[in-house]
Amino acid sequence: MPNPYIPILTSVKNIVSENEVNDIKTLELVFKKEEDYKGFNYIPGQFAEISLIGKGECPIGIASSPTEEGSIKFTIKKMGTVTTGFHNCDLGDIVGVRGPLGNGWPIEEMKGKNIVIIGGGFAFSTLRSLVIYLLDKRYRKNYKDITVIYGNRDSGEVLYRDILEEWEKRDDIKVVLTIDREEEGWTREVGFVAAIVKKVAPSPNNAMAVVCGPPIMIRTAVAELVNLGWKDEQILNSLEMRMKCGIGKCGRCNIGNKFVCIDGPVFSLAELKKLPNEY
Amino acid sequence: MEYKILKKDQIIKLYNDLTKDYNFFAPIKEKRNIVFRKITNPEEIVLDYLNSKVPPKEILFPEKDILFEYKINDNEIELEEPKNLNEQNIIFGIRPCDAHSFVLLVNFFSQGDFKDEIIINRRKNTILIGIGCNTPKSTCFCTSVEGNPFQKDYMDVFLVDLQNEYLVEGISDKGKDLIKKLSWLADAKEMDIEKAQELKKQAEESITTKLDLKDIDKILDPNFDHPIWKEVSETCIGCGTCSFLCPTCTCFDVIDENVPNKNRGRRIRIWDTCQSCLYTLHTSGHNPRNSCIQRVRNRILHKFCYYPENYGMLGCVGCGRCVQLCPVNNDLRTIIEKIKKIEPKREEKVSA
Repeated sequence: MPNPYIPILTSVKNIVSENEVNDIKTLELVFKKEEDYKGFNYIPGQFAEISLIGKGECPIGIASSPTEEGSIKFTIKKMGTVTTGFHNCDLGDIVGVRGPLGNGWPIEEMKGKNIVIIGGGFAFSTLRSLVIYLLDKRYRKNYKDITVIYGNRDSGEVLYRDILEEWEKRDDIKVVLTIDREEEGWTREVGFVAAIVKKVAPSPNNAMAVVCGPPIMIRTAVAELVNLGWKDEQILNSLEMRMKCGIGKCGRCNIGNKFVCIDGPVFSLAELKKLPNEY
Repeated sequence: MEYKILKKDQIIKLYNDLTKDYNFFAPIKEKRNIVFRKITNPEEIVLDYLNSKVPPKEILFPEKDILFEYKINDNEIELEEPKNLNEQNIIFGIRPCDAHSFVLLVNFFSQGDFKDEIIINRRKNTILIGIGCNTPKSTCFCTSVEGNPFQKDYMDVFLVDLQNEYLVEGISDKGKDLIKKLSWLADAKEMDIEKAQELKKQAEESITTKLDLKDIDKILDPNFDHPIWKEVSETCIGCGTCSFLCPTCTCFDVIDENVPNKNRGRRIRIWDTCQSCLYTLHTSGHNPRNSCIQRVRNRILHKFCYYPENYGMLGCVGCGRCVQLCPVNNDLRTIIEKIKKIEPKREEKVSA
């Protein structure tokens, strides 16, 4: 077995600034060796440890879908040394990738069901991956109605605008975009995500919900789902934790006897309720 | 013959015979502490020590360990595997509790889809020539955690100090082969073996701490929010000594270490501790274990609840280092006794 700490080398193919304040960028990476890409078999919701050699490594959710062939994407907020390093990358720069890691969204279990995807702010990256996967013409037939509710502080913070607009034009997905306060020129919903969940009122019948966002948004949106009759088993979250190795060895991402990196990051609300409240 | 005799003045001969093929690690005195070092002078070996301050886990899992090395040339990067992973090692004079910890270390690093081949290989390439503890320390409690001062199962070769000489027993196949190569070892007499058994009995009896750890995970699991965690963490200063010097602690941080003014460096792991608030601090500022109460609880639960739940064994070998070296005298044994006294139905919330 190879040394699990050695990354695969990729290079930056494209860089997209995702928001007005320019602190969130999406890096598109291509593998240096074709066989490395072929070996990188992932599903939506998984993550990778990506690194700048000489600066350090950090865990980031994979924003691309496995159906977008040829490259992988990571949406990165500028926070510390390593993420700032990513923001300063030029095209062609080398990025180390270890992955795919974690369990990912349960795309098999979701088959035959209505899917409700609720996201807030920057946490939309692995939801982007999931929606693109569900909408792929090979897989769309496996899933019933798809509803996306995506909220942001203001219109400048909305990620992936081009692709959201494409989704809005399709008739096989319902997309509800919202921002916290009214803005000139904004013609979509206004209000917090929880309020929009209440308004859209997705039915829990034969359905699964995926909720990703800041803790307060998750709490309030989940409360609305519970009011609408959703069960804990139907609601999925993806957790974030400080991580170093991503492979269940460095120790720090534990919640009780589970490691977020290998047992998660996706947990149902029912699973989370069995764990100590330490996340 | 299964049992041999090694005279005390033959240790130098033993070292000379083995050092050709192996890195020979042994306990020596350094800055008034006992430490395990790769030695070059066998006269430095100290075998009548009680226990080393830093456990010999540092040979399998060094405080600072290279994960890979890198060279950066223009826009090309070369990555290289760590070197010296296939060197053959002997750890001479390791104590039963520390040999027991190697079982736990290898178990943990072998879990899951991603095996830590660095540690697994080091263990495969390491022979343990251990020694029984004739006079356990007052802080020792190996007999409470599935261990014993004469526990030889985890060794390759086991020695018993018979005052003027050592009784030598080959335990594993590797150990037995090694003894065969040392053809100059004298055969042991029946009375030597009897004396060793007597010493074993005395040593076991001298350990007065008796903790009942059966099903401790079942007491701990429902008592995550019990007020006892506030009580047992009150004096903790979060220095992390208990975990850094614990032979079973495995947590690490990862950093890139660049060689100054050179286009090369290495990604290394360094020991980390769950007793530090930085250990779990998110980049966002959120910290899931922000209080000392939570961090002390995590350490105890990890060893006595999560480890048994996940792997079916306790995560402690009873070496007593955390008891002996804690600067504020927090005693793990006392904490366990308090936990054992928790009444099943009590449920109070602690404001952690």
